[in-house]
Amino acid sequence: MQPETTTPPRPAHMGDVAVLPPGALPEARPATSARELAADFTRGIWRENAVFKQMLGLCPSLAVTTSAVNGMAMGLATLVVVAMSNASVSAVRNLIPGSVRIPAFVVIIATFVTVVDLTMNAFAHELHKTLGLFIPLIVVNCIVLGRADAFACKRPLPRAVCDGLGAGTGFTLALVVLGSVRELVGFGTVFGVSVFGAAYPPFLLFILPPGAFIVMGLMLAGVNRLQSRMGG
Amino acid sequence: MTRLVLALMVVCVIGAVILAGTDRITQGPIAEQKRREIVRSLDSVLPPHSNAPDQDTRVIRPEGGKEMTLYLARRDGAWVGTAMVVTAPDGYSGNIDVMVGIDRAGAIAGVAILAHAETPGLGDKIITDPRWLPALRGRTLDNTHWAVKKDGGDVDQFTGATITPRAVTGAVRRALEICREYCG
Repeated sequence: MQPETTTPPRPAHMGDVAVLPPGALPEARPATSARELAADFTRGIWRENAVFKQMLGLCPSLAVTTSAVNGMAMGLATLVVVAMSNASVSAVRNLIPGSVRIPAFVVIIATFVTVVDLTMNAFAHELHKTLGLFIPLIVVNCIVLGRADAFACKRPLPRAVCDGLGAGTGFTLALVVLGSVRELVGFGTVFGVSVFGAAYPPFLLFILPPGAFIVMGLMLAGVNRLQSRMGG
Repeated sequence: MTRLVLALMVVCVIGAVILAGTDRITQGPIAEQKRREIVRSLDSVLPPHSNAPDQDTRVIRPEGGKEMTLYLARRDGAWVGTAMVVTAPDGYSGNIDVMVGIDRAGAIAGVAILAHAETPGLGDKIITDPRWLPALRGRTLDNTHWAVKKDGGDVDQFTGATITPRAVTGAVRRALEICREYCG
């Protein structure tokens, strides 16, 4: 699946990343071109979209997408965390011994999640109340640790940041689409704006947890179909 | 070995410094947001008043319960009502925090839901239905049988959602009982 170039030997201290998602490319040439950066960014949006292609981060994707706003807020919070953690992990990649890299990454990620959690609590209080428990849980979102260990810890800073922004944007888009569909069918609104008129009878199933699974399943089917049409 | 410990320690120390800084910056705004939330709720449940009830408080310890704060509303110095936060432990999904305002005559002046995790579209009608909470106003322990209609009481429930109104009704009744004992 990966159209990669050469396979230079991995640094000895880096562990095996075979269990991690695609994107775990071998060490690339040191020089960073604008084209590479663009590729790093766009990869996470469609080709390796965390939700629709890698099936990562499904817990928040299903749980908080009761409305488009909630989905977007959760997506943006994750985007900030994954971009900042990717940047930090890349910056310290040559200082952290391989055998303690995972605990070090977890500390870095948890730090940024707490920063985002406190900041949202202070400046976006209502949204913070709605998303509640799910913001701290970004710590255990596999997308974040996945990008850190599979990509950022062997790439220069600019590429790691672009990759983080791409993965975060892809996640945000997926959550906004899921949230919009559920809100539209469930309440007849998108981002709180009425689409079907005030007389639309709420279709609660789509707001409740089963609706999340139904919409998710239909979307995955659609994405797979689209992909097979486009030839992979 | 030393290198491992050192690396982890440095990462943790930097993390701690960043967190301490963020906490310093956000502490004030978070406290202010919480206070504003309380003030907003107090204003919505209490009779018109001229003091700041969030600063005019009394702590009581009802029999067999936890410490509670009573917020006192005064108008030109005269006591006009009391508010308190009661928790309904028997909501459909977890606790429901309810703020109840009671006037001098022991009648409900207003009720506000502070926190809940009830089902959207069903249990959360206690908030989204604009008639339900206001319908409690003016009710006292004496003129109302504090139970939902399904249980033979006077309070409306919703089709498909009895548990939430039942829990809130119970919490409001408890507030009235506490008030009968401690208010005034």
